[in-house]
Amino acid sequence: MKLTDPRLEPLSRMNDSVESGWSRALALVRIEGGVRRMLILLAVAFVIFAALRPSIFLSGTNLRNIALNSPEIGVLAIAMMLAMLTGGIDLSLVAMANLSAITMATLFTAMAANDPGQAEQMFPVIVLAGVAVGVLGGAINGLLISGLGITPILATLGTMQIFNGIAVAWTGGKTLYGSPEVLTGIGASTLGGVPTLFCLFVLVAVAIGVVINRTPLGLRIQLQGANPTAALYSGIASRKILMSTYLMTGLLSGIAGVFFIARNPTASADYGASYVLLVIVIAVLGGTNPNGGFATVFGVVLATLTLEIVSSGFTALRLSSYQYAIAQGLILVAAMAAEQIKWRRRRNRKPVLQPT
Amino acid sequence: MTSIAHDKPTQPLLEVRNIVKTFGGVTALSGVTLDLLPGEVLCLAGENGCGKSTLIKIISGAEKPDSGEIIVDGISHSSMDTTNAIKNGIQVIYQDFSLFPNLTVAENIVLTSAVASRRHTYSQRAARPAAQAIVEELGLKLDLDADVEQLSVADKQLTAICRALVSDARILIMDEPTTALTHTEVERLFIIVERLRARGVGLIFVSHKLDEVLKISQRVAILRSGKNVVTDLASTLTPRTIALHMTGLELDESRNISELPPESGVVLELDRMSLEGAYQDVSFTLRRGEILGVTGLLGSGRTEIAESLFGVVPHESGIIKIDGSPVRIHSISDAIKAGIGYVPEDRLTQGLFMDKSIADNIIAGSPDEHATRLRMLDLRAVRETIQALFARLRVKAPNVQAPVRSLSGGNAQRVVLAKWLARRPRILMLNGPTVGVDIGSKAEILGILRAEAAEGMGIIIISDDAPELVACCHRVLVVRNGRVVDILEGDDVAIDTIREKVAA
Repeated sequence: MKLTDPRLEPLSRMNDSVESGWSRALALVRIEGGVRRMLILLAVAFVIFAALRPSIFLSGTNLRNIALNSPEIGVLAIAMMLAMLTGGIDLSLVAMANLSAITMATLFTAMAANDPGQAEQMFPVIVLAGVAVGVLGGAINGLLISGLGITPILATLGTMQIFNGIAVAWTGGKTLYGSPEVLTGIGASTLGGVPTLFCLFVLVAVAIGVVINRTPLGLRIQLQGANPTAALYSGIASRKILMSTYLMTGLLSGIAGVFFIARNPTASADYGASYVLLVIVIAVLGGTNPNGGFATVFGVVLATLTLEIVSSGFTALRLSSYQYAIAQGLILVAAMAAEQIKWRRRRNRKPVLQPT
Repeated sequence: MTSIAHDKPTQPLLEVRNIVKTFGGVTALSGVTLDLLPGEVLCLAGENGCGKSTLIKIISGAEKPDSGEIIVDGISHSSMDTTNAIKNGIQVIYQDFSLFPNLTVAENIVLTSAVASRRHTYSQRAARPAAQAIVEELGLKLDLDADVEQLSVADKQLTAICRALVSDARILIMDEPTTALTHTEVERLFIIVERLRARGVGLIFVSHKLDEVLKISQRVAILRSGKNVVTDLASTLTPRTIALHMTGLELDESRNISELPPESGVVLELDRMSLEGAYQDVSFTLRRGEILGVTGLLGSGRTEIAESLFGVVPHESGIIKIDGSPVRIHSISDAIKAGIGYVPEDRLTQGLFMDKSIADNIIAGSPDEHATRLRMLDLRAVRETIQALFARLRVKAPNVQAPVRSLSGGNAQRVVLAKWLARRPRILMLNGPTVGVDIGSKAEILGILRAEAAEGMGIIIISDDAPELVACCHRVLVVRNGRVVDILEGDDVAIDTIREKVAA
């Protein structure tokens, strides 16, 4: 902090702030606090489990399983992050994803009953229908939240119950079997040793990252979440922004539904029941501010991988899923506590240009 | 040394000596010394960031000094804590008064002292007489049973003063006490201040409004960059000399307006615009390149007129014409599309994204103007706009990635201004553009507005700061009870005329 008067400074000093090409390049690789924390957590988790059970944890099967489990959870966590970025939340993500998977399984089974060959050929239509169901669910959430102004947590709690109820009534609570072979083929395939689904997940993450950081819509989503009143006075149409956001979370749920069925040619109403809270944990752990305005896709991707590593590590150590749940909670609480302590320290150190 | 007999009547209530305070290597105060006598009003003046807030926090115990001493009634303390400060009779009334809006006036007056004396139960019957006594003693008209949220700003302030006195305050520090008050309310406050002085209370005023401060204070202490520059009798100072000491620069508040070229057309025309309960039959024109002042008491309708033009509270009847053609303004996006920008009154909540970077704030109003055909942000254009405005408005910050929260009032206001200039609106309205802004920044902000007007922007300034209106407005509209009662032009745009018309 300089207390000197800006008018007394030569103009060149002010131009220090004009970023040079070099510092701009640095800014690209600059790692934000939340992301750095996740990188450390990820490395620590990996090293611990690799040290404790190297034979099981470092096996090809286990690593592939991590890469296969992450995409569906990761895509849902990114969707959760988007909702939180506007200061909202979307509890209906998993229900929409299941509805999407059920739609695809039903469509395929119905088509395959007539002509199995044609059903295989219709695979793109089936996938599109599944994704469309997600988008439709998102549109309903968007209307409730942006049109009627219902608080996101209540609106999506309601739609979660509705979508879940529809899924149970539709399937009769049974698990449906059936998925185009192309899709299950993609689910089982690898690109250069990396599961294709994982590559698709990275693609989705990059796409959402671009939307958030490189488009007018993304900037508006961030600003809307950071301060809705100032957003209003800056001419940001909150309804449009919220609608777009929930359409995107619906779209991502639809994609998660495709991932569900590609990994496992089954669909049921109660698949991934534990995911709803898990993706909230991942989003927040990945540096998303639940009050809105701040999040990074990269942080969320790292948080997804970290929790998957812990999960598979616990399996390798033969610990139960309940113990895994405890670990999830502990990681979240510890990370948040560390954040608070750091923040408090910074505030105590804080200085400076306080308005008088 | 002088004899005790001579010393006694002038023993200071409070002295601070050689206070040093650093924050992480940054020196906020470097050896500040001042004293406060009983029955005295001392004005503490200085630009934003000069250390006034820090000094007050040290006196009230919210911060501990690195070195130096705080002497209350002749007893030296190396630091204060908040409880100790209150026990020693030190009270601070902050700008927001820190009252409980859902409690009554009487409860607000009594409650904190009850809490401070560690009573665990609250008796309404015992409380009321205590509150009543203090209100009567000061000769105030305050409804003790009214909820505080229903009070005017002035009455809230009086409630806060009473609360301080119930806790036996002898040293009362008031942060910007006149900022939110109208001219008449300020007069009323000053009468109360005189009564407090008669009781032997010492007051420290922190204020930007120099002419008012000079009227009420006996001495003025001026800080600049964490140092005492001058402490002197108010009678020997003028606003001009104070400003000079505060900034180290000459302040120019003289009238400085450009001649409007005769061919510059009307950019905005209002014809009998009305909104039930807010304003009626408002008609005026604004020419390209003109700076139009709008003034009036708080609640006169001046803010509502601006907010209607910006589509926040749409008007009900009347016609708005921009560049000669009627426009429909029913929402903020209508107004922005029509080329209107608005720097709102409440900068912190309405104008800024405090935790976002300066860069994000500057671009917040115009992402579409910086988009490529593929609906992507044109990063090069974005960077150019941000850097150009950052440099041109001379925002004092290490770089454009710094969060706005770290900026002082004057710099934060420049960022709000930059947000609108990035869009290049045809008409820019500013509500209280220099409230809470230090003198140096104030002059610069007015300079920026003059420059924008000279390039053809129509500018409307809503303000109750008469010197500021005189300094830069071609004409001044006076709003009273929701009606435009006067349009001052030429030589009528003078400080005294404006004050007279507003208060009439």
